Amino acid sequence: MRAVGEAYHEAVMWEQAGRWALGREALAHADALHNLARYLTGNTVDAEDLVQETYARALRAADQFTPGTNLKAWLCRILRNAYLSLYRRRRHDPVVGGLDTVNPGVPTAAEASFLGDIELDRLRKVVSEEIERALLSLGDDARTVILLDLEGLTEVEVADVLGCPVGTVKSRLARARAALRRQLGDYGRG
Amino acid sequence: MRCDDVRMRLLEGQRGGLEPPEDAELRSHVAGCPACAHEEQADRLLTEALEHRMPQYAASPALKRRLAAAWPAPVTPPPPWWRARLRAWAPLLAAAAVVIVAVPLLLSTPALRGGGPGMTPLVTEAVNDHLRVIGSEHPLDIASGGVHQVKPWFEGRLDFAPVVAFGGDEDFPLQGGAVAWFIDRKAATFVFKRRLHGISLFVFRADGLPWAARDTQRIGAVDVYPTTARGFNVLLWRQRDLGYALVSDVDAAELRDLAGRIIGNP
Repeated sequence: MRAVGEAYHEAVMWEQAGRWALGREALAHADALHNLARYLTGNTVDAEDLVQETYARALRAADQFTPGTNLKAWLCRILRNAYLSLYRRRRHDPVVGGLDTVNPGVPTAAEASFLGDIELDRLRKVVSEEIERALLSLGDDARTVILLDLEGLTEVEVADVLGCPVGTVKSRLARARAALRRQLGDYGRG
Repeated sequence: MRCDDVRMRLLEGQRGGLEPPEDAELRSHVAGCPACAHEEQADRLLTEALEHRMPQYAASPALKRRLAAAWPAPVTPPPPWWRARLRAWAPLLAAAAVVIVAVPLLLSTPALRGGGPGMTPLVTEAVNDHLRVIGSEHPLDIASGGVHQVKPWFEGRLDFAPVVAFGGDEDFPLQGGAVAWFIDRKAATFVFKRRLHGISLFVFRADGLPWAARDTQRIGAVDVYPTTARGFNVLLWRQRDLGYALVSDVDAAELRDLAGRIIGNP
């Protein structure tokens, strides 16, 4: 019985030490998660609540994390799920950037030469506030796929976060970026 | 390659993620298609704008403090039931312990320092530190072309000079190094590879830590304490003033092989 007691005692210690180590690693991603949360919720108060909720859920599910996989991607998935369940319904869905309705289309050579210089000039001069405004005008999915890509997640990891097949991540990202470009171009024309 | 296909691959092409033939085909198309050339340039400008001009919202220090407080540090769990019973028998057991301890003390002083459970804090720390290394996005402070590049990097960053005789080879290439904490002291971390497996070597001051005098195996001229924890093989040993912890999920025999090279007597 002594051996069983010791083994149990040690198992509890291992489990606690593992969670603690995971928590220390998770804290290193707080900035990235807060940035993602800020762009999803659109304000700092909700973003902080969302990040706290994310860490609380991660702590409860710590034993489901697979060591050796990308902890940031795992946390992003938890954050997105928390956002979907807690915040999405509160926000008005933007009218642009819906991934299933937006088709960037292919401008003809004539259109490209006409629009080209204007758009390129606009993109060169775009300022921070306009980028943020354009991002926030996109749909949740479009905004999320752009932000996850900027965070350096692989297509496989982004697919895992979004809950979609890996094959669709590339097309979703291309459409989202095209929608963002159009928004930024619209500011220039306005 | 059609325009639609090109547009879908522009970003990947910019990041060098395409295979050479596909990349050549994409470049050839862009060179001859003004519309796609425009898209390619616009996409580059968008990337530049997002990466350099998009506002970044870092977590506030207050939020980080709240997050750290919410994720509890490990606390010692309540003792198992048998410990309470042991307390009642403590005086008798203490007397017995004197006899048990005194005999080997007279025969061999080093035997006072046991292996087994006494090594638990070191094993726990070694495995946790290894998990931090392999789970980290940027585990290395200095990437390596060899131990002569890594060892000098530690100068001024540690209060000791890590002695490591092995600088990596084809079997165990050295990936690089970093400074970490091992329990209460700084440690030099060396990361080796074995096929796709990561192997962490932590070198630290050995004083004040419980080193095993039994259950050890001889590797070269050193007694090495081998154990496993959470699926990882762990080797712990002491050489002069320094302690060494070698951790990985590679086979135990391969880890011993590497330990032999590190100790200097393969």
